[in-house]
Amino acid sequence: MKWNIPVAVSAAMLWLALVLAVAILADVLRPFGITALDLRARLTPPVGFGGGWAHALGTDELGRDVLSRLLVSIQMSLRIAFGATVIAAVFGTFMGFIAAHFRGWAEQIVLMLVDFQASMPFLILALSVLAFFGNSLLLFTCLLGLYGWERYARIARGLAIAANAQGYAAAIRQLGAQPMRIYLGHVLPNIASTLIVSATLSFPEVVLLESGLSFLGLGVQPPMTSLGNMVGYGREYLTRAPWILLTPSVVIVLTTLAVSLLGDWLRDRLDPTLR
Amino acid sequence: MIGFLALRLLRAALTIALVVSFAFIVLRLSGDPAMTIMSPEAPPEAIAAFRTAWGLDRPIWEQYFSYFGAILHGELGQSMRDGRPAIAVVVERIPATLMLTIPALIVKVGIGVPAGIFAALYRNSWIDRLVMALAVAGFTVPSFVLGLILVLVFAVSLGWLPSGGQGSWRSLVLPVITMSMGGAGVLARFTRSAMLEVLGQPYIRTATAKGVPWPAVVRGHALPNAAIPTVTIIGFMVGTLIAGAVVVESVFSWPGVGRLLVVAVANRDLAVVQCILLLVAATMVTSNFIVDLLYGVLDPRLRARRP
Repeated sequence: MKWNIPVAVSAAMLWLALVLAVAILADVLRPFGITALDLRARLTPPVGFGGGWAHALGTDELGRDVLSRLLVSIQMSLRIAFGATVIAAVFGTFMGFIAAHFRGWAEQIVLMLVDFQASMPFLILALSVLAFFGNSLLLFTCLLGLYGWERYARIARGLAIAANAQGYAAAIRQLGAQPMRIYLGHVLPNIASTLIVSATLSFPEVVLLESGLSFLGLGVQPPMTSLGNMVGYGREYLTRAPWILLTPSVVIVLTTLAVSLLGDWLRDRLDPTLR
Repeated sequence: MIGFLALRLLRAALTIALVVSFAFIVLRLSGDPAMTIMSPEAPPEAIAAFRTAWGLDRPIWEQYFSYFGAILHGELGQSMRDGRPAIAVVVERIPATLMLTIPALIVKVGIGVPAGIFAALYRNSWIDRLVMALAVAGFTVPSFVLGLILVLVFAVSLGWLPSGGQGSWRSLVLPVITMSMGGAGVLARFTRSAMLEVLGQPYIRTATAKGVPWPAVVRGHALPNAAIPTVTIIGFMVGTLIAGAVVVESVFSWPGVGRLLVVAVANRDLAVVQCILLLVAATMVTSNFIVDLLYGVLDPRLRARRP
């Protein structure tokens, strides 16, 4: 396979590498604490718009440094989205394997849950759960982890049924391997590439969902900060200090764009049915 | 066909039952509403009276069955905030939401479907690339970011349009644009791939080979076949008409169902949230059912097939 990478995809990879580096090093890179107030420098505009290098991306109405908050927000949003994607992939794949292994009524129950999840708008379900369980970071991540599990379940079920009919799975079963070992050691590696592409495609959706809920004030709660949280909060200063809102918006858009470009490209590369 | 419909109806009923159970489990077991609505310092007699009034002192399974029964009788409880029936509180917001979501749906279909068709017909040309780039941009920009940027440009800087609230037709422009861009992008991509799939079929080659002019091939053979998968996506969009505007309504302070939901969630107004959840489920199930019926109209093969 020849891997000549289009310019847009390399740019996307570069951006994602940068964002990942920021997410890992946020606490080292940030010039100020996210709650450090500088009351004499309230609502300072960014460099180039009348502000100075002390606060490169300006400050908010309490004099908190926007750049520092942005870096920590990237870390928080990516952490949540990453955690949620992993949860969804593991849970969905597990359910898919259950359906493929037991067939019969277990499969029917899984398929019914899949249909239910696919037919309800996730935002509405998430809103109901969030408000009534209160809000902690762990719960929020787990809740987002339910997003898209049904896609992994469908893929895993279909591919595992196909794999079970193939020689290698039957051979290992005849050798006396336990179901756990068959599925994790042999079936999973064979279907992993499809699942990974699916995860890449659903990652930006999770980022958007997290930022949307945080924007509504129902996701990440202050004093913690996330990209959506910053946008929602910056909205109050839309006319006086648009930079508070614009910088996290740009990061959200570029990141979701980059992941979709990469995901599309990966899918075209790895999905044999499209070639 | 009758068997197919019966099966579909059964599944629709099952989905509704699942949603009702979900609502009940999540909303009742997650916390003590009496403690949330009344303050913890309230006199114990008042809390006990509140519990009796809302049936919260009975065993949970009894609450569940009476809840199911009440819903079958169309009783969806009262808003815990002002004591009015929850259904009335929700229903009075529906027209405002539809005022946004119906025009948005028309714009989505009006832009997305033709764009997808053109992109497929001129595959790999600059038209295709442009449409696909715009489509990706359309669904990767979150609606709250797009909405706020539009407000910043057209309301704050230029002062052409109002930044929010419900007023003349001018107040519709920004929210409708904000809501339709993402969906138009999704539809364009979907329509394009449906068209490409159809254009690769042997019957298209046959039609061209026997001398049918290309426009007639597209109109008579490609479009009707590509319509089938596209209708599914549009059907799903119809299902979100009631509650597809949660974020956009919040951005533009629009007094619709979506904003009601956000406020009800923040206030832990159980009855209203449940009512919206059921309403959304009902619209989703109905629109899925209609899509299934439409399949029968669009695809004669499905009419003959036995379930």
